[in-house]
Amino acid sequence: MSNTCDPAMRDLEANVPSLKRTLAERMLGTLKWWVGILVPFGVLGLAGWILPLPFVMEVLIFSIYTMACNFLLGRLGFISFGQPAYLAAGAYGTAFYLYYFGTDPYMGIVAGVLAGFVVSALAGAVFVRLRSDYFALVNLALTVIVFYMLQKVLAPITHGDNGLWFLDRMRNTPVLDITNPRQLALLIWLVAVALWAFYKYIDGTIFGACCLATKTNEDKVKFLGYNDFAIRWTGFVLANTTAALAGSLYGIYFGFVSPEMASAARAADPVVVTILGGTGTLYGPLVGALAYVGMKDLVSRLVGNWEFFVGLLLVTVMLAGEKGIWGTLQPIAQRWVGRWVSESRE
Amino acid sequence: MRGGPGIAVPKEAQETALLRAEKLTKRFGKLTAVDRVDYVLREGEVAGIVGPNGAGKTTFFNLLTGYHLPDEGSILYQGEEITRATPQKRVALGLMRTFQLTSTFDGLTVLDNLVLSYFRANRKATIPSLLRNTCRAFYNDHDIGTLLQMFELDHLRHRMVRHLSLGEKRRLEIAMAIVADPKVLLLDEPFAGLSEMEIRSVVGILREQARRRTIVVIEHKVSHLEGLVDRLTVMHEGRIIADGEFEECLRDPEVRRSYWRVSEVT
Repeated sequence: MSNTCDPAMRDLEANVPSLKRTLAERMLGTLKWWVGILVPFGVLGLAGWILPLPFVMEVLIFSIYTMACNFLLGRLGFISFGQPAYLAAGAYGTAFYLYYFGTDPYMGIVAGVLAGFVVSALAGAVFVRLRSDYFALVNLALTVIVFYMLQKVLAPITHGDNGLWFLDRMRNTPVLDITNPRQLALLIWLVAVALWAFYKYIDGTIFGACCLATKTNEDKVKFLGYNDFAIRWTGFVLANTTAALAGSLYGIYFGFVSPEMASAARAADPVVVTILGGTGTLYGPLVGALAYVGMKDLVSRLVGNWEFFVGLLLVTVMLAGEKGIWGTLQPIAQRWVGRWVSESRE
Repeated sequence: MRGGPGIAVPKEAQETALLRAEKLTKRFGKLTAVDRVDYVLREGEVAGIVGPNGAGKTTFFNLLTGYHLPDEGSILYQGEEITRATPQKRVALGLMRTFQLTSTFDGLTVLDNLVLSYFRANRKATIPSLLRNTCRAFYNDHDIGTLLQMFELDHLRHRMVRHLSLGEKRRLEIAMAIVADPKVLLLDEPFAGLSEMEIRSVVGILREQARRRTIVVIEHKVSHLEGLVDRLTVMHEGRIIADGEFEECLRDPEVRRSYWRVSEVT
């Protein structure tokens, strides 16, 4: 916009405060940015020495799985009951590679991510045209189809309900040997932190703003001149490739995959954990996963039906203001540590 | 000049036409919302479209901007056929609109709303580009800062839009349209929900903007357009019943008969 020809405009322009950030401010900003990421994950990482390692790994993998759903629900406004399909795509991509083709677990992870990318890219091209309840149901339908394919149609290569075992086929790797549980935990921790940093970065980009914009006002996005379909599709593929990565890590962690992973009975889990943690918040997936896996592990030791207590907690959290655990705790946390942590769109 | 079906568009208007609609028709079931409308928008003018509720003003806007596709007729922009072009294509060509019901992004801050509009107009809006650029990088942008001050939104720059009043949202929406530096600014009832003071301020800004771009304003109240528009078009029941100088249009016998009877001029 060329506004300088007009004296009135020049006056206005002269009054606009110059807010150029100094180098020191930038460095402080970057430091704050990383503090917000590394502290919670650092605490969880350290907890790995105190808490049982499988518990910490499961929380981290579930938080990755939930990050995907959190992005779909909190940023794009898509409620998906089809997450197990993408989780299974990643897990089976890894399993196929390690069972039939190679022994390098890292290549297995790459295969899983690629499989998730392909499935979500194809499904997304159709699904993101739909909205709200239709989107949720069509994703649920995909989960049912994927489960049936893995259990029956592809049984000659998936071994049906028996699943694929590949734990002893994974060879040792020179750096970060993920056949060693503690080093695998470190890898999962690194992946979780990297993904978390990635989603925090996305949040501050124009793309992140566009995603939130499509959630609240899709028409306006179009009439600002953006390709709303491309934005939704990219967001969908990013999120579900993340879900596939979680599936791949599950596969590596257990050394085994079965169609149970794509069971429609587990379709609501990531949605529940997202809401439990606090939809659309950056810390929500971690807090939600911690609460969910924690309850599953602790309560299931005492009583059989742990899901009942998760349901009860969910109802309580929703009645407390629909903000989730982190959404409720956030104002308190911000008061305590807010100035040390950079702002985000929470 | 008289518009509407069967009324010839003068030759000089055809020569300087920036946007031209010919025999534009839109039906919703049995209702013909826009009925064979011929309309010419000349470069640099401020055109007003008035009419009672249900006259077809907004539907006509929706056809021009690609919200709806017409059943018949054509739209030419700078000589190029855009009748069935996507809204994105029309925006890229320089047509930017606002909505009758304020349309902003409630989940974003005032600044982010402006940045989104500014970014699309000044940078490549491809996905890699959207992923590479942060909103923060544009927070201190000169044009955005100027617009924030112009629309008295500067003190609200970090406020979530859902917490704004209707008047503030309305001003933000117009600012979002202007920050994209469009060739044609199409405003659908921009004064609805604004206080008299806010209306005076927005009219002042639009007068100033009229030196830079072509503006079309839909308005329900004729009085808001007085002194702002160069030309007035009156719609009634999906047709243009008068089109010309402001005063001349209001004196038109058909306007007095069809429009004033329905809605008194305020």
